[in-house]
Amino acid sequence: MRRNQGCNPLEHVMARRQFLGGAAAGAIGMGVLGHHAQAVQLKRQEKRILQVFLQGGVSQLESWDPKPGTVHGGPFQAIPTSVPGIHISELLPNIAQRMHNLSIVRSINIKSNDHEQGRQFMEKGRRVGDFPYVGAVASKYLTPADSQLPGYVHVSTRGITDVAGGAAFLGARHGQLKLEGVKPPGNLAPPEGVDALADAGRDQLRLQFNQRFVERRSKALTEAYDASYQQAAKLMSRKEMFEGRASKQDLDRYGTHDFGRYCLLARNLLENGAACVKVTHHGYDSHAENFNFHLEQLGEFDKPFCMLLDDLKARGMLESTLVVIYSEFGRTPKVNVRYGRDHWGTAWSVALGGCGIQPGAVIGKTNDTGTAVADREVDAGHLFHTYLQAVGLDSTADHDMPGRSIPIGDPSAESIKELLV
Amino acid sequence: MTPVDSWKAHSSKLQRSLNTLCCATVISLSAASSWGAESPLHQRIDVAIGAGLTEFENLAADDAGDAAFARRLYLDLAGTIPSAEQARQFLADGSPDKRAKLIDQLLGSPHHARRMQYAFDTMLMERRPDKHIKADQWRNFLRQSFAEGKPWDELVAEMLTADGSDEQSRPAAKFLLDRELKTDAMTRDLGRIFLGRDLQCAQCHDHPNIDDYLQRHYHGLAAFLNRSYLFTDPESKQASIGEKADGTVKFTSVFTSESDETAPRVLELPPIEDPPLADEPYTVKPDKKVRSVPVYSRRLQLALAMTDSSNVAFRRNIVNRLWAMMMGRGIVEPVDMSHSGNPPSHPALLDLLAEEFHEHNYDVRYLLRELALTKTYQRSSLYKVGAENLADDRFAVALLKPLTPEQLAWSMMQATSLTDATLDDLKTQYLLADAENDPAQIEDLLWQEEALHDSLKSHVDTFVGFFGVAGIQTSQFDASANQALFLRNGAELQNWLEPSGQRLTAHLATLDGPQLVDEFYFSVFSRPPNAEEVQQVTMFLEEYKENRDAAIEQLVWAALSSAEFRFNH
Repeated sequence: MRRNQGCNPLEHVMARRQFLGGAAAGAIGMGVLGHHAQAVQLKRQEKRILQVFLQGGVSQLESWDPKPGTVHGGPFQAIPTSVPGIHISELLPNIAQRMHNLSIVRSINIKSNDHEQGRQFMEKGRRVGDFPYVGAVASKYLTPADSQLPGYVHVSTRGITDVAGGAAFLGARHGQLKLEGVKPPGNLAPPEGVDALADAGRDQLRLQFNQRFVERRSKALTEAYDASYQQAAKLMSRKEMFEGRASKQDLDRYGTHDFGRYCLLARNLLENGAACVKVTHHGYDSHAENFNFHLEQLGEFDKPFCMLLDDLKARGMLESTLVVIYSEFGRTPKVNVRYGRDHWGTAWSVALGGCGIQPGAVIGKTNDTGTAVADREVDAGHLFHTYLQAVGLDSTADHDMPGRSIPIGDPSAESIKELLV
Repeated sequence: MTPVDSWKAHSSKLQRSLNTLCCATVISLSAASSWGAESPLHQRIDVAIGAGLTEFENLAADDAGDAAFARRLYLDLAGTIPSAEQARQFLADGSPDKRAKLIDQLLGSPHHARRMQYAFDTMLMERRPDKHIKADQWRNFLRQSFAEGKPWDELVAEMLTADGSDEQSRPAAKFLLDRELKTDAMTRDLGRIFLGRDLQCAQCHDHPNIDDYLQRHYHGLAAFLNRSYLFTDPESKQASIGEKADGTVKFTSVFTSESDETAPRVLELPPIEDPPLADEPYTVKPDKKVRSVPVYSRRLQLALAMTDSSNVAFRRNIVNRLWAMMMGRGIVEPVDMSHSGNPPSHPALLDLLAEEFHEHNYDVRYLLRELALTKTYQRSSLYKVGAENLADDRFAVALLKPLTPEQLAWSMMQATSLTDATLDDLKTQYLLADAENDPAQIEDLLWQEEALHDSLKSHVDTFVGFFGVAGIQTSQFDASANQALFLRNGAELQNWLEPSGQRLTAHLATLDGPQLVDEFYFSVFSRPPNAEEVQQVTMFLEEYKENRDAAIEQLVWAALSSAEFRFNH
């Protein structure tokens, strides 16, 4: 059995404890975004992406593609959902009530059982090569010109290194701003001894130095450099947005545990113009005690995710926000001796909904025991095209880079057309 | 005989190797003798750049001036800005050949070997995480190679022949071993990094948009390595390269379904057919526990074929890359997209550089010297009024070059005097550590460079973390909020700005008036301030005079964060 990073059961235990211990800190306050800004945001109807990454590989059998009563179907039941005919695992009761907002692709075969390969493929839509992640592509093409935030923000607890923040040739501006939970990004506070006035004074002086330098010099580079300072200043001025202040009502609904707070932060970030927000929920790599783990993990995931979904809908943002729940692969349709399920890229599922996605659909299917795709096989290349087309981007076009054009999506794959509105 | 020795013998380059042994003197002599009638290369470069554009001289930017030249050259050749003292010395020097002298001085310095180590490590490994060969060993190998003036073809031959089994040559195997002999990564990077061609899209079919990237080019390169594999020793767990005696490369176009088979070949050069398979094809037979070694190795053919005189693409690629390093963009740009649809901006110039580089035994230092001597290199980055619309690829004005993360780190440490203060500490420590320690040692430039590097390396790594990009390197400039936050609020810079000990801020605090401004400008911008600048700085300090120390910190911060500092100009 493979024992990759994150597979160590001990680590799972530790993560549990951290969660239990770290949930105490609560804060009461209003969301930072005023109503006016919200209205402006809504008027623009820009499109954006919310990714919820269930790290480690969520079991399709305990979520989107249950097979109760089969030899390796596990102990959980399938329950009916708000869409007649669609059943999902009983571990997702809140999502079941909202199934009419989501759709499921049950026929994914990525032909890899490796965490890193699977993750890269799911993010880049290509198996190999230095290509940008979905989030970086969204940042490049969907970020509003006057955005207060970097385009691609990732909320996560533990470090998975994404080379160049997933931006590849799109450049550092489109790499993910990684937030370690509800903590402001690094270096957001001015250094000790530099108060706001002094900070403004020194920045003014910086601009004076620049002003003279750019006379009779090409502006493209110097402007890009200055823009990074402006962006930094915007982030500094909105420090409190990252600090996870939340109203009592919100905390009551989302929960006070980490993932609930991440979802609240994601809502803030999306409202404030981030083109792609990725929230990672760790700990699905259940080589042992798969059922206990999924009971606990999905129990933590189901409600806050649904609250976020409800809020996006209530704000009129769902129709302009693509929502994707995904992993790097699924889990084996065979229970091992430790009541675990192992890595399984051969026949598994993702769920998605919102912007551009036909709601309440099921695409493809697996066979009766879940050991193979039975219909409409797709891989991460197809999903990549689908995500981008759902938010109105032509994924078959090229990134137009100086001196070269690079196809945005893999030319050998195409979108899942029947899933798009 | 080691593989590299056999490469030397095979490639009939003995004469060249001899030349290399005494490179510095031989080069200037041979340049003078064999090109006696012709003007030196740097002059012919300027002619080639001016050709084809009427009134080029009227439109082209003026000379950069001594101060701008010195700063640019220090950055390009030594990887850091000069100290205030070095900048002042150069300006004060009245000798007419002082620019050539500075070029030679810097090319011979240990800082140059370090700068080349950084540049070539980035070019060859593209800041990917370590796999099998430790970065330190590999970087040391690169630095030593440049310090001893190793020709480029020999350096590449060492990288492509080392199999990792021999401790001596093992660091050179990083290029292959860290790519784990994976065909995709291997083939693509051989094409991109050594031939200037990104053949990735030609893996499954002839390139759809680029007429001259053919599927057989991709697979011809792949065929050199298709028999090689990553071998991990079951006991030491050490990785090395094994090779099988058989295996062919077949490919089918996904467009036309045509299939073909290819022997190893470099682009359109003739395929290298295998000799008849010997009765016993292995020196070491394949076995789980040992690294198999065939009698005839396709992989060892790669170094020969790559560096062969007939392989013009190999030398065009490297001269183009060195040109881009000095001039801010390639004659072919992007440097790994050489094809008929993306022709060189100056075809004759590219030919000239490639052939001269070949004539001069692939001597990197020779080429850098000639490039630095050109008017083209020494022009101002201020365009002439009326010339603002001239395209970058005319090279009529010096292009802004973003500092690499390493250049930025060392330059900031230099400007804030962290470098000098640390060196003084290191010298003292060395002498105190042992009474037997030789006082002459601390004046040795190599000792100084190495001691400083080891002491300040972690700061450089921090800058690489913020400003470096892993993966394909492009010449595009990009700046993220994360980087700006690091410069605005990060601990490093803030720490270096504190007015303690020998720090620049502490030193400035002891000065006053124009003297302060002058010292500040030389330390940070390597030049004297003009009257307007003196006035501006004076006013700023006047405005914040209640807290003068803090004002000086802010002044230096603003200068370090300015565009003038961020770009080599």
